[in-house]
Amino acid sequence: MKTYSHPEALVETTWLADHLQDPGIRIVESNEDVLLYANGHIPGAVHIDWRSDLQDQMVRDYISPEAFAALCRRSGISPETTCIFYGDKSNWWACYALWAFRLYGHCRVKILNGGRDKWIQEGRPMVREKPSYPEVPYPVPTVRHDKEIRAFYDEVLAFLKTRGPLIDVRSPGEFTGELLHMPEYPQEGALRGGHIPGAKSVPWKTAVREDGTFKSADELARIYEEGCRLSEDQEAIVYCRIGERSSHTWFVLTYLLGHKKVRNYDGSWTEWGNRVGAPIQRP
Amino acid sequence: MQNVDPSLPPRLQEIINLFQNLPEEEKRELLIAYSDRCRECAPKEGESFTLSDIRKDQECTDSVGVFLKVDSENRLLFRMSLGSHVQTLTRAMASILCQGLAGSTAEEVMALPSGFVPKIVGTELVRQRSQTIYYILARMKSACRQLVAEQRRTNVASSTP
Repeated sequence: MKTYSHPEALVETTWLADHLQDPGIRIVESNEDVLLYANGHIPGAVHIDWRSDLQDQMVRDYISPEAFAALCRRSGISPETTCIFYGDKSNWWACYALWAFRLYGHCRVKILNGGRDKWIQEGRPMVREKPSYPEVPYPVPTVRHDKEIRAFYDEVLAFLKTRGPLIDVRSPGEFTGELLHMPEYPQEGALRGGHIPGAKSVPWKTAVREDGTFKSADELARIYEEGCRLSEDQEAIVYCRIGERSSHTWFVLTYLLGHKKVRNYDGSWTEWGNRVGAPIQRP
Repeated sequence: MQNVDPSLPPRLQEIINLFQNLPEEEKRELLIAYSDRCRECAPKEGESFTLSDIRKDQECTDSVGVFLKVDSENRLLFRMSLGSHVQTLTRAMASILCQGLAGSTAEEVMALPSGFVPKIVGTELVRQRSQTIYYILARMKSACRQLVAEQRRTNVASSTP
């Protein structure tokens, strides 16, 4: 039986319930629902908003290293702090925040298996009080690790010419071009539907069980290694619409299956589907 | 001084006035308070409706049910059922609109401009992935269109000799 390559990257709700007071950890909630944290969160958890905290508001990019360091300082996160991310939507945004932390070289990161929903379904405590932590030093990162874990448009274009594996994690309707947005979601501005030529459709949801926890290593290996012929040392690029669902699959491939060269194309379909001259495939 | 938009029902205008001048943080707190109260706009046991429209999303948002009751003067009462994964802002908007549009006619609801939504929610919160706040209003308008179409069919049938 195969095991996760990095089982330490996951914590279970039972473990977290017993370690809420651990000084070496910081619980971080990151959601799609912008008011959900204020509505109730795991005791001691801080809120990191994918848009206002992690993204630059003037350029489509992530915050500056200085802003990242300031975010960590005011959240009581030092370079030695282990951040445990969780959130709604089966941890889409938790994985996105984790991936963004990795961009700045913060490697002590974990995901709460099953996320916010599992914690609530198990009847565990939720509070509305916002915790406050004393500021701690966090040096400004000198490197952003875009090269290792992030892909840009030109790199994806070059990659598809090599026939390297591209994984489209959106819903089947978005992949075929039948939908220009997620079902029942408002239009998010893509002018063309379809997928990047050669991409294989493996919706993010394929990696999780009904309760939002990750499938076993054997099941994941069947999906991605047997089904998509991905392997540990092979380069692969994942994408979705704005990079959050693909962060989820990036986490699965990188941490649970131990693939070392997976990059997230966070420009994703909102860039590709609007880009003048970008090649598109429809089945 | 409050801006009064004659195209808005008075009850909705009152709620907008309440929100409009609040600082961002208090606006968020009031939105959460409205979202907490969205259970009050759920259909009550034994209630019957002129029209029910319940739909479930395939992947992301949860099911949303719109229920309409029409009185003898064609005034509407809305009820809404929201699945547990519906966003907080969407819940708040459901609660606000059920209150704010009570007593309106279907035609008034269909003609309602959506420009009031940012006045309630604030521009900070109207953004990508929070735009389902408009979805509730769209669903209510859709229910009204169905109702009007149904009433027209009934009128045609009853006037046909």
